[in-house]
Amino acid sequence: MSIEPFNRLVKLAARAFYDDVTTKGDNQPKTGRGDNRGIAVVVLDALTRRQWVREEDLAKELKLHSKQLRRTLRLFEEEKLVTRDHRRETAKGAKIYSAAVAATVDVQHGGKEGEEKIKLHTHSYCCLDYAQIYDVVRYRLHRMKKKLKDELEDKNTVQEYVCPNCGKRYNALDALRLVSLEDEYFHCERCNGELVAESDKLVAQDVGDGDDNARRRRREKLKDMLQKMEVQLKPLMEQLSRVKDLPVPEFGSLQAWEARASAAGRAINGDSGSNDLSRSSQGYGGTPMPFLGETKLLGPAWQVEVAFSGLDGKEEDAKSESAGTSLKVLPPWMIKQGMNLTKEQRGEVKQESKTDGTSAQPDFSDDKKSTIGTDDKKNLQDEYLKAYYAALYKKQQELEEAAKKQEELSDIPLSSSHSDPSKRQVGMKVKRDDDEGDDDIDWEEAPLAGNTTESYKVNDLNVEAEASGDDEDDVDWEEG
Amino acid sequence: MFFHIVLERNMQLHPRHFGRNLRENLVSKLMKDVEGTCSGRHGFVVAITGIENVGKGLIRDGTGFVTFPVKYQCVVFRPFKGEVLEAVVTMVNKMGFFAEAGPVQIFVSNHLIPDDMEFQSGDMPNYTTSDGSVKIQKDSEVRLKIIGTRVDATEIFCIGTIKDDFLGVINDPTTA
Ligand SMILES: [Zn+2]
Repeated sequence: MSIEPFNRLVKLAARAFYDDVTTKGDNQPKTGRGDNRGIAVVVLDALTRRQWVREEDLAKELKLHSKQLRRTLRLFEEEKLVTRDHRRETAKGAKIYSAAVAATVDVQHGGKEGEEKIKLHTHSYCCLDYAQIYDVVRYRLHRMKKKLKDELEDKNTVQEYVCPNCGKRYNALDALRLVSLEDEYFHCERCNGELVAESDKLVAQDVGDGDDNARRRRREKLKDMLQKMEVQLKPLMEQLSRVKDLPVPEFGSLQAWEARASAAGRAINGDSGSNDLSRSSQGYGGTPMPFLGETKLLGPAWQVEVAFSGLDGKEEDAKSESAGTSLKVLPPWMIKQGMNLTKEQRGEVKQESKTDGTSAQPDFSDDKKSTIGTDDKKNLQDEYLKAYYAALYKKQQELEEAAKKQEELSDIPLSSSHSDPSKRQVGMKVKRDDDEGDDDIDWEEAPLAGNTTESYKVNDLNVEAEASGDDEDDVDWEEG
Repeated sequence: MFFHIVLERNMQLHPRHFGRNLRENLVSKLMKDVEGTCSGRHGFVVAITGIENVGKGLIRDGTGFVTFPVKYQCVVFRPFKGEVLEAVVTMVNKMGFFAEAGPVQIFVSNHLIPDDMEFQSGDMPNYTTSDGSVKIQKDSEVRLKIIGTRVDATEIFCIGTIKDDFLGVINDPTTA
């Protein structure tokens, strides 16, 4: 699920259909200097890196004259590629948008807040309409193909007939007068000769007069065009089919988007967003921030999965990176809906709390975040916790034997190898088994062996080290 | 396409129809004269639905006939290029087939019949698909699209196609 395939679609469509488009004022002369071909593509590309954007800002960022940009956008509006919204607003109203932007987009709107104006200004905003773009592009391709094919197959053309004897021409509209009662052919009114359909004659190529040649050339040209179209637009068609079953990015109306964006923004700013930043730059195995092209999204930062640290950190780093990339493709507009996290996402959060507990520096912030993330699920977790303990105790006893065998095979302390098989039986995702097993080692070890500094930290920071351990198991249960 | 419109016509009435039934006579003569006719401009007059008004009669010198300007409402049928119609096949030959949609005659030439349908001659000439599942013959009902019209002052003739999506036989008389 990603916005990227759709952005690629937009870019391909832009290059296919709008590369040659010029948008000129009616009064401007067509001079070489005023040639602004290619601008349409630039604007569309820029829009793929943004969501709702105020048109003035876009013009500034693209170093375009706002009038020129507006003309281009008007074209796209007519072509149903973008939705636009115009509203009269005070400086305060503009701020709502700026705040929303600040929450989602790493673009500085310096000084805007300073200028207090009471005057109402009409501001225009624009945004790509991905759902409609998909339909529009498909329709356009369909019409192009149909038009060429119809012409090629002589569809919708009036059949012509020629008398081979006297050369008189008729067409299908004369049919009523031409039918004969004796046989099933049309007959010439003048000489009663059997009429020949024009296209048959063309195929037979018996009479090569200039008219026919022109028609044949035209057909060849059409065929050629159709073939060229198939070849040249192939990437676009492939992208269309790739995007076909993907959920379409939806930003909603400007108001809805602003509300959502600023809500998400508040949530982040309330939390230690800066901490996230620094941490991800430290590269604690965590993924970098999800980027949306140039524009950086702060929204989902606190959900970013962090390394499962511990004994074999390297392996886990690699793993969390792969997990991170899968996270990264989560579309930002979904993540921004704030705290309504899906099960999976919630799991991610809790894993973070667990693993950060065992990892080094940014413990405090992570811990705080994890509680925020899980607060509302506390009751549920307690239920899980009880159930889990019961099950775990039972399993551990059952597996005491198996554990002893494994003891010989590994240097890992006894208790950790207990939980390893038990874990597997509790039923986690299969592909995660190895890593989870390792994580368990940390956790189980902490109270018993206490041979790593990280595990001490856990005890210090998480008031209930056990409980957080359960959070983790909790996750596994949900996932399993 | 059908339209409900108001038309006007000057009716000449013989003096023998004068009397208290003058108006009824006028209307019945109007129906007889107008219904079923075709004007290139308005199409076929299908039915008169009402009389708007009857103007003052004018007595013709010498004959005694009186001319009444009559405004009447009627339903007309006017085929258009691009319109999709349902029609009954009236004749099939090697060049294509003729069909009727009410008063309108339509010719579908063989190059506008799908390529997989072939002409079969015989005493019941028809166009049939190679697997025989679809057959067009006399009295078949087809849905067709008008691709051209010839509108004369008193006649409208159309040519159509069944070589497009959702066109073709809609009711086969042999299976019905
Ligand atoms: Zn002839």
